[in-house]
Amino acid sequence: MPKQLIIDGKAFEAEDGITVLQACEQAGVEIPRFCYHERLTIAGNCRMCLVEVQGMPKPVASCAMGVSDLPPNRDGTPKQIMTRTPMVKKAREGVMEFLLVNHPLDCPICDQGGECDLQDQAMAYGSGGSRYDENKRAVEEKYLGPLIKTAMTRCIQCTRCVRFMTEIAGVEELGAIGRGEDMEITTYLERGMISEMSANVVDLCPVGALTHRPWAFSARPWEMRKTESIDVMDGVGSSIRIDARGSEVMRILPRNNDLVNEEWISDKTRHVADGLRTQRLDQPYVRRNGRLEPASWDEALAAAGMRLKDTPSQRIGTIVGDLAGAEEMFALADLMGRLGSRNIDCRQDGAKLDPALGRASYVFNATIEGIEKADAILLVGTNPRLEAAVLNSRIRKRWRQGGLKVGLIGAPVDLTYACEHLGAGPQTLVEVAEGRHPFAKVLAEAKHPLVIVGQAAARRADGAAVLATVAKIALAASQGKDMGATAFNVLHTVGGRVAGLDLGIVPGEGGMDTGGMVAAAGAGKLGVLFLLGADEIDMTKLGSAFVIYLGSHGDAGAHRADVILPGAAYTEKSATYVNTEGRVQMTHKAAFPPGAAKEDWTIVRALSEQAGNKLPYDNVTVLRKAMYEKAPRLAWMAGAGAENVSGVEKAAARGGQMANDAFGAVITDFYLTNPIARASAVMAELSAIKRNAAARPAAAE
Amino acid sequence: MGIFSEIFSWWGGNTWGTRVTIWRQGREVGRDELGNRYYIQKRGVGPLGVPRRWVIYKDLAEASKVPPEWHGWLHYTVDSPPTEESYTPRPWQLPHRMNMTGTGDAYRPSGSILAKSTRPRATGDYKPWRPS
Repeated sequence: MPKQLIIDGKAFEAEDGITVLQACEQAGVEIPRFCYHERLTIAGNCRMCLVEVQGMPKPVASCAMGVSDLPPNRDGTPKQIMTRTPMVKKAREGVMEFLLVNHPLDCPICDQGGECDLQDQAMAYGSGGSRYDENKRAVEEKYLGPLIKTAMTRCIQCTRCVRFMTEIAGVEELGAIGRGEDMEITTYLERGMISEMSANVVDLCPVGALTHRPWAFSARPWEMRKTESIDVMDGVGSSIRIDARGSEVMRILPRNNDLVNEEWISDKTRHVADGLRTQRLDQPYVRRNGRLEPASWDEALAAAGMRLKDTPSQRIGTIVGDLAGAEEMFALADLMGRLGSRNIDCRQDGAKLDPALGRASYVFNATIEGIEKADAILLVGTNPRLEAAVLNSRIRKRWRQGGLKVGLIGAPVDLTYACEHLGAGPQTLVEVAEGRHPFAKVLAEAKHPLVIVGQAAARRADGAAVLATVAKIALAASQGKDMGATAFNVLHTVGGRVAGLDLGIVPGEGGMDTGGMVAAAGAGKLGVLFLLGADEIDMTKLGSAFVIYLGSHGDAGAHRADVILPGAAYTEKSATYVNTEGRVQMTHKAAFPPGAAKEDWTIVRALSEQAGNKLPYDNVTVLRKAMYEKAPRLAWMAGAGAENVSGVEKAAARGGQMANDAFGAVITDFYLTNPIARASAVMAELSAIKRNAAARPAAAE
Repeated sequence: MGIFSEIFSWWGGNTWGTRVTIWRQGREVGRDELGNRYYIQKRGVGPLGVPRRWVIYKDLAEASKVPPEWHGWLHYTVDSPPTEESYTPRPWQLPHRMNMTGTGDAYRPSGSILAKSTRPRATGDYKPWRPS
């Protein structure tokens, strides 16, 4: 039942169950706050949100007062809420004075300066001066790991970080000890936080108590150029904001997007920024007499183009890597098609996903937002905590609301929520599919069951059969529930894969897939192998093939390459990426590629001229037009879901024998999954810490 | 110094005018380790009431090339030139060097963009990949 209120003299109808603070927000009245956060539980300990409520003798903490708890006045008129009275002003000034009593006056050397809630609100709601001339409290520094720099004297004990780690990240590593003036936020053992989401606490911190260690003292918020973009470190495609100064990406922050990442991003997404300025390919190279030598663009393109022109088309192979944008994939596939080559594959890991079956067979049909509707989830061969940390926290969010059953088939892992480990391999999968397993009943009885299959299951040699079985389970579970394809969900681990599948970048008739191309190169049956940022294949097995590498970072591929064409990283180009849900999103250029590097599709276009088969697009608009004709779905920006269930049915119809070995893990090292992350010193440090922590038992063990 | 540059330039050694003056009035007192020659007026006194003292530089005429022992004599601080005294430099004295400002050897404080040491890291710097 809506509740009638009068907020600052204006009538307002508040929906039931919200708090006074939310009602005021909706009515357009700003309430200052420190501890309250929309996505965390209510703590009510900063007292900054005090308002005056008619009939109450004292000011009320609006974040902790529900509108349902406000009875109407005795005469039946709606309750009045006042935020501009002298009482509220005095209350806010008092709270602010108390907060500032123990807050150091070190704004000029504080990294939060310019984006500090305390600074802003002290300006807006504080009193003019200070009456306090005693000594201030000092708190010992805490070690919170290599990502988070602490200055605990600045802490105002809002406990947002504690609530985030407990509720969203699901690791109870942070807490408060002591009370009153002696309260301190700490990890108890001070071993640093081990979570994929830990750096989000810095965004939540309203003051400068927690700041980012990797970019400490490097920039002020007002001197950076902000570019809204998309992350490609995992398949989630989180919305990010790239802050750049000059030509350098200084930091990456999350952007609010309720459909995808809410307002969290993983540590990899955030702190990979330093990988963007190390190991960069900044000039073309050509291998002469066994040594890679710097070359001009003309020389490199001529060398690569000549090879492509002179090699018979069936001896040309193309492997598309994990971070490629749709534009360059499309341009390259188009060029290879014109040259007559059918050996092309975007599935670098050899996943048995076939775009010919329909889009529903390879995307996360339920959408990430749709997870919140689920009441039973079966995870097959996946560890979402590492493969898609933000998506995992969405499952955890749903689990915290209660009534969610999660089953896992695959390697037993800690997913931060209760999860029943059903089995390790296809045997259990068959049991569930045939209804012999108790979890089959759970799925059948659920109103909105989801089956999430990971790449560990899809990339096996018998991946097609595994996917077919999973599709059968999904179809059986969704029978008669009007769910469309949403029960069948493929979780991708890399940013560029779905766009590649949408563009149909899989071997043509008689063409070789990734494994086939590597084997053929080793056997000398492949003359030229084009790697579009593909670094995860075994470079030692490529034999004497002529390797052309187009990418942004010097990784495995660049070492093996015969011609290196330096491209742009995802922060340096405007490219289309499709996330695991099939949501089409676009990155935006935040900085220019280093040195002589160029945007990838322009390199492919220039190469096509040298290869004797000029591509007909001179600018990105024409290229996108051609791309949308090939894959119309890519023109639907930001939309996801509503795929045709026939894709799942076709996937279920694929047969084959399943081997009995257990599902492995796709990601063995969360922090080092792609060339950019491997170039990052921060990621290397995190990876080492995690490895050591795994090797060392805790004190209590 | 060739005769040509002595006639047409003024910045190296002596000009022909100085040569005539020194030849007529000067008596060589000594030379320092850099090869600069020092003269004193043979007869009479200069404007200060004492015999004038001169230096003829070797190569470039640059006042800071005069080493400290001769500097004192040249500026009438001491009466007798170092050649007539047993002058020995203090153990902590470095060999004399002319003022290098304006030359390639000029002093550059650390952080100067002209210093030969590595430049401090700046925004936009990146570490390129190089083939091993």
